[in-house]
Amino acid sequence: MTAQSFETDFWKDNELRKTWEQIVPGEPRKTIPYTLTLEAIQKYCRVVNDMHPLYFDEAYAKASPYKGLIAPPAIHILLMFSCTPADDWMRSPGTVNAGQSWSYNIPARPGDTIRLEARALDKFIKKDRLFVVHDNVFFNQHNQVICSGRGWTIRPL
Amino acid sequence: MTPTPATFEPGHTVTGTPFSPTRESIRDFCEASLDFNPLHLDDEYMKGSFGKTSFGGIIMHGMNNFGVITKMLTDWVYEHRGVQRRLETRWKMPVKPGDTITPSAVITSHKDAANGRWFTLDVQVRNQRGEIVAVGEAMVEMPRAS
Repeated sequence: MTAQSFETDFWKDNELRKTWEQIVPGEPRKTIPYTLTLEAIQKYCRVVNDMHPLYFDEAYAKASPYKGLIAPPAIHILLMFSCTPADDWMRSPGTVNAGQSWSYNIPARPGDTIRLEARALDKFIKKDRLFVVHDNVFFNQHNQVICSGRGWTIRPL
Repeated sequence: MTPTPATFEPGHTVTGTPFSPTRESIRDFCEASLDFNPLHLDDEYMKGSFGKTSFGGIIMHGMNNFGVITKMLTDWVYEHRGVQRRLETRWKMPVKPGDTITPSAVITSHKDAANGRWFTLDVQVRNQRGEIVAVGEAMVEMPRAS
């Protein structure tokens, strides 16, 4: 996936995406490896106004326990979309984020090649709404876990 | 004087930087996160209803809020050579352009392990009207006092 190739019109491939009815808990989602760049990290940081020098100041970061620039823990926000293809059901228009739970092991770094293992874990109906729970683990090129997490989304009808 | 990690006790409060989303910042978040869901882009689409919910206009990404909470936690723990280990959130209300949200967290407990002191925190995010827009729990690891 490159920034140039990312389809920003989420309606375009919508017919290819699984509906709540078609999503099978336990079934792996298709994923694609992604090389995380410093530019992408800093673009994310700027929009959430998180300007910590560990993400921007190479000299500061080198002198820190991290020995170099890192990404903030919440970089999985970007990785979720950069590591999945256009027909992934997380892109279905109208998908509402109800909650998230993430655990962090080691930071992602600029230049890392990130791999995602992901699946739907559960689906249910609550208060007349269609929920899916998704389960995700991001790894770096050394097969080290960066972070793992679950999300609860309300699916479009 | 800033407490050392070992002296943080239940009840200690951490407050984050207020964040005021605009239509432009929401669009920028689409670009930075690659989440181009029309919930965040398309006012016409958002005039419709979503089951029992009607938003009436575009809303900020829940994960933008997640990023604002994360900044609060990391600004605090990095200062003490700590690590954010966990964040769980539940979104209670939508955040819209023109709102100002402010996260805060309160230490609820700590536990010493072999290599570090682990703190759990209750997290809240309130808007400018004092309404709770998000709640959650966090866990951070700090170095143990030598």
